[in-house]
Amino acid sequence: MIIPQASLSSPEHRQHISRRALLKGSAAVVVAVGAAALPSVGDADSEQSVPDKSSCPQPKAKVIDCHAHLNHHSRSTWEADDRKLIEAADKLGIDQLCCSTLTPHWPATLDGFRECNRWTADGIRRFPGRVLGYCYVNPGYGREALEEIRRYTGDYGFIGIKLYNEYTCTEPVVFPIVELAIELAVPILHHASHSHYFVEDQPRMSDGGHLAELARRYPEAMLICAHISGGGDWEWTIKALRHATNVSLDTSGSVTDEGSVDMAAAVVGVDRLVFGCDSSMTAGVGKIRGANLSTQDKEKILGGNMMMLLGRRKA
Amino acid sequence: MMIDVNAYLGHFAFRRLRHNTAASLLALMDAKKIDRAVVSSSGAITYRNAQAGNEEVAEEVGGHSDRLIPFAVINPFYAGWQDDLKICHEEFGMTGLRLYPKWHNCQLSSPCCRELVNAATERGMVISIPIRVEDNRQRSWLLNIPDIPPEEIVELVKACPKARFILLNGIGYTGCPLGRKDNGLPSNYAIELSRLSAVLANELGQLITNLGAERVMFGTGMPFNYPDPALVKLEVLDASEADKEKIRWQNAMTWLRL
Repeated sequence: MIIPQASLSSPEHRQHISRRALLKGSAAVVVAVGAAALPSVGDADSEQSVPDKSSCPQPKAKVIDCHAHLNHHSRSTWEADDRKLIEAADKLGIDQLCCSTLTPHWPATLDGFRECNRWTADGIRRFPGRVLGYCYVNPGYGREALEEIRRYTGDYGFIGIKLYNEYTCTEPVVFPIVELAIELAVPILHHASHSHYFVEDQPRMSDGGHLAELARRYPEAMLICAHISGGGDWEWTIKALRHATNVSLDTSGSVTDEGSVDMAAAVVGVDRLVFGCDSSMTAGVGKIRGANLSTQDKEKILGGNMMMLLGRRKA
Repeated sequence: MMIDVNAYLGHFAFRRLRHNTAASLLALMDAKKIDRAVVSSSGAITYRNAQAGNEEVAEEVGGHSDRLIPFAVINPFYAGWQDDLKICHEEFGMTGLRLYPKWHNCQLSSPCCRELVNAATERGMVISIPIRVEDNRQRSWLLNIPDIPPEEIVELVKACPKARFILLNGIGYTGCPLGRKDNGLPSNYAIELSRLSAVLANELGQLITNLGAERVMFGTGMPFNYPDPALVKLEVLDASEADKEKIRWQNAMTWLRL
């Protein structure tokens, strides 16, 4: 990847997206929200807004990127690139980023993922209030992987677990990780893709069908299927996950196909969609802005649903 | 003013498209405050006889020529392409081409492809080349169409210096001569922004630095894509308002001779 050169920007040219701009383009009709536990920011200038009947000011709903990455420290520009991630979030109106650090080569070794988790913890320290941590492990390390998760969700306040492609999620070696996630009441963000060909460099790739199978085995688990827009055939993935009610779909990825977020909302329901970018920042934000959904539905996707998942964590 | 140089009408063989009629595309453009759009047939990408797609677009655009600018899809390996080009230009008022060498199974370096580029250039037509149609990871089991490699574009712009090219749906230009400063290439090509990053690596900003804002154009890829990601890129781009105006519409006006 090309590392960006000196910025063109002068302060007067720096652009940011307001929350209203982030949400604009909502559907003309707002549907009533049933069990939404989150406060609504409303959209003061929008005809789509539901009038706020409360006399109390409502706290602002957060925008949370459920799928982000800090840079591996083998990259010479990792520190500057991490800062750029936060600057990009600032520009795009993203309040918090749920980050993991991944090893540059897979399968991850024990030392490799331990190092990554230390760096994620350091990222939380460097960007207080902005970075939330996923503990990344290779399930093949069994007891050590479980200890790593307990340590980082406990001592360092990580909010969930990131699993990549070391194992297909239906392999028994993954089950103890899922059982621990249930015990801790934290979500698992699982890398996934479905292509209509064999992906040679990721032979144990999980897809939406695998995640649905895992969800049936563990209905208490909070699973997040990563990047439906950048994980191959998104129509296949959405349909495969229709009945897997404990799987949320992460909207991240570089693909900006018109209708993708709308189809996901129609098939699995808005309450199961969580906004993400996976480093495709303008794509991630633009897809949600472009979806033909109400402002309230977009607020759920942008952060409300993720807050609900994170709120289930045991004290 | 906003001009989208990367829009389509019609059906696509492998996925349902919405907003794919003139009326519905115009409604979407209204909602997104996009004034005009260059459109070509999405059906012609997979039709054997691409001219049928051009006829569909000509019919759809009729009555909307103030906002929809039709381009022709021509397959230079298909019988009668010279007749099709003449009809598209002279009867349908199509002022440019879209080329799909990988989908139409021809090489940009082939004599007939060069003949088409030269014939279009003699007519003053601009030639746009989508580097891809959709993400290859989601491809149908029926086919495997690669993106056009940048080196093939480099050879083309060098070989046809009088032609004018607009490159669509591309990324990674700064990693090849096409996006580098002082690259020795003719300045006969412009780059559309729908897949370029505007934050993090900020390839869009790099291209403005390297090639000049005059060589970058706004495009969305709608209705294949949500138009909003491209709009967001322009909104967050660190560039002067004068440069953004060039990208939004002024460059398109110049290149399309509107």
